[in-house]
Amino acid sequence: MSKIVGIDLGTTNSLVAIVEDGVPRVLPGRDGNKLVPSIIHFEEGGEILIGNSAKARLIDNPRNTIFSIKRFMGKGLDDVREDLPMLPFEVSSESEHIIRLKIFGRDYTPPELSALILRELKQNAEAALGEPVINAVITVPAYFNDAQRQATKDAGRIAGLDVLRIVNEPTAASLAYGLNEHQRGTIAVYDFGGGTFDISILKLSDGIFEVLSTSGDTHLGGDDIDEEMIRLVLREIGGKPDAASIPSIRKAVNKAKEDLSTSESVEIVIDSLKIHRTITRSEFNALIDPIVERTLKPCRQALADAGLKPNAIDEVVMVGGSTRIPLVRERVQLLFGRVPHTELNPDEVVALGAAVQADILGGGKRDMLLLDVTPLSLGIETMGGVLSKIIPRNSTIPASATEMFTTFVEGQTSVKIHVLQGERELVSDCRSLAQFDLKGIPPMPAGLPRIEVKFLIDADGILNVSAQEQRTNKFQSIEVKPTYGLTDEQVEGMILDSFEYAESDIEARQVIEARNEAETVLNATDKGLRDENLKNLSDQERAEILASVAHLQAVMNSDSHTTIREAIERLDAATHHLAELRMNSAIEKALKDKHVREIQ
Amino acid sequence: MNYFEVFGFPEILNIDLNSLERKFHELSRQYHPDYFTTGSVEEKQKALRMTALLNDAYRTLRHPVRRVEYLLDVEGFKPDGSKVPKSFLMEMFEINEQVEELKSGSASPEQVAAVRSEIESRAALFDSQLAASSSEWDRLVTAGASRAELNSQLSKLTEILSSSSYIRNLERDLEGTA
Repeated sequence: MSKIVGIDLGTTNSLVAIVEDGVPRVLPGRDGNKLVPSIIHFEEGGEILIGNSAKARLIDNPRNTIFSIKRFMGKGLDDVREDLPMLPFEVSSESEHIIRLKIFGRDYTPPELSALILRELKQNAEAALGEPVINAVITVPAYFNDAQRQATKDAGRIAGLDVLRIVNEPTAASLAYGLNEHQRGTIAVYDFGGGTFDISILKLSDGIFEVLSTSGDTHLGGDDIDEEMIRLVLREIGGKPDAASIPSIRKAVNKAKEDLSTSESVEIVIDSLKIHRTITRSEFNALIDPIVERTLKPCRQALADAGLKPNAIDEVVMVGGSTRIPLVRERVQLLFGRVPHTELNPDEVVALGAAVQADILGGGKRDMLLLDVTPLSLGIETMGGVLSKIIPRNSTIPASATEMFTTFVEGQTSVKIHVLQGERELVSDCRSLAQFDLKGIPPMPAGLPRIEVKFLIDADGILNVSAQEQRTNKFQSIEVKPTYGLTDEQVEGMILDSFEYAESDIEARQVIEARNEAETVLNATDKGLRDENLKNLSDQERAEILASVAHLQAVMNSDSHTTIREAIERLDAATHHLAELRMNSAIEKALKDKHVREIQ
Repeated sequence: MNYFEVFGFPEILNIDLNSLERKFHELSRQYHPDYFTTGSVEEKQKALRMTALLNDAYRTLRHPVRRVEYLLDVEGFKPDGSKVPKSFLMEMFEINEQVEELKSGSASPEQVAAVRSEIESRAALFDSQLAASSSEWDRLVTAGASRAELNSQLSKLTEILSSSSYIRNLERDLEGTA
């Protein structure tokens, strides 16, 4: 099998890593940086920038520069309505169940946008390894629900990757940390990133990494801290938030936040708004305290689910950029009563762990095994809108449950099943996952068919459903309508689209088109130069035409369509007068001919 | 293959959790899909199926109550509310009313503590009944008892579980108020 890379598709930054000779390492991008900012910039001409080059456009072109797209994965409009006023993106009207961002008149779903980042990482890995990369392990927050996991898998497929496994980020991090020593014991992984928070509690024994429980919040991260600081600035400058100034404020507070991890006091500087505002760490701590507090509730929940007291945790591992914040470290230390591990770079540890998991899948490392869990209970809707749980949260995956269904009406040939995820009693308080239509049930009296439906959560944490009628032993066809997701056909369509719109393809096509046009222009000029009107031009004009022809001939085989276009424009300008003259004489000639015919 | 067979255990109820875990890890290493990524579609399907079965079995057997419920299910015994004595139901009804009162928030801390300890002592009673009956089941199985003896013991377990479910619901209710 060809190489398998591990990808950390983060809210803020993304990375690709690989294990070589048993050692995981992050592969640098073609610009030399290991971190690829998860930012996508669309140029008007169709060119797409990813990463650092896109990040540079956040301020001057915020509308077409997409960041933190991970927060939109598997979400509908209602889920993100609160965030939208702070974001400069245009949301398409057709976003009810899948957010679509409108960019230059075209709608993009989060999986398509994430696919652009994944393709960049794929190409970075290919450049670094010198061979094609197809197979990948991609990480997701442990608390991601089914729709968010599926959206991530879809993104991989759209990017041309074969996603061999979706791995939970904290679990991946534990693999990276557990590499050197044959550890035993219970560890807590506190993963506080740009957009999401996870806590996972694992038991390590003889190479088996068994997740006991996990909890989290997929909408809680460094972005929320930034937004709290943006609100502070907006309050102080008074007036209502001005959409155009938010990107500069965001950039300034983000820098202040990062600097406050090492300094006691920093200045928030926003030149365009004439803001020079000093903020101390204690003021910052007071500001973000409620956010940090929100991470502790899932920690307590995970401990309770694992049946453990805080002091039963042997080691605490810190993951994610937001764990650089001193207050976060303090709080975690206080909760677990021990100093958390911060030895590995919190930005890289997830990607390194993903590479280790990729290595296990590729057959490299057989002594390690990851046993992960599903973060949310799976249930089906029953009478009265009540959720009946069939696979409890924190079940080791793959996990399955079998339920029997029957008909209520004589001759009924189909049954609807509504599947949800969540912990609450009522269906209306849980996350709808999909509607399944069991079709082709043999017509029988009501209550007689016995349809056995098997719900299986696979090793990616994604639900699969199969059904069989027990009396006829016939497999039922199941029509799946994902509530917050793309259908298979839609994903297929996007793969084609992405080829059509692929950046390198566009580049190549533009070069070819420019060369073709150059040839046409040169041929036309060649004719013009043999035209009798040439003598009506000044010496200077004739010289410029000849110079422009020579220039275009010199550059037309270059790979830059803009260079070729510039040369074409120069020649166009130089031959403008000549073209006019030729046009005039052509008209005159036409009129003359017409005259002759009319006279005859 | 039933869950006991997955682990190669006889259908007994006192399971040593350490050996259950050891066996779980051993079988995970044998079947887990991570080790079949490069395999054929059939191999992958089998790995997925076997591991799901193994995980379902482990989840069920390591839990003392779910383990009994599963045994009863395998043996064809369904939970049966009609077996629960009326007097017991009346008592449960009274405790339930007290819990509802606590939920409304008007109760004093002493009242809360009293209801809590009432529920806890009843839960402890069921736990000990369940443990004793489970051990009796194991003894009968090991001794190769007759079907009639086994069935009578299964009925007893069914009755204990059916009654204890009321207490467990009250416990859960009370947790919700804390």
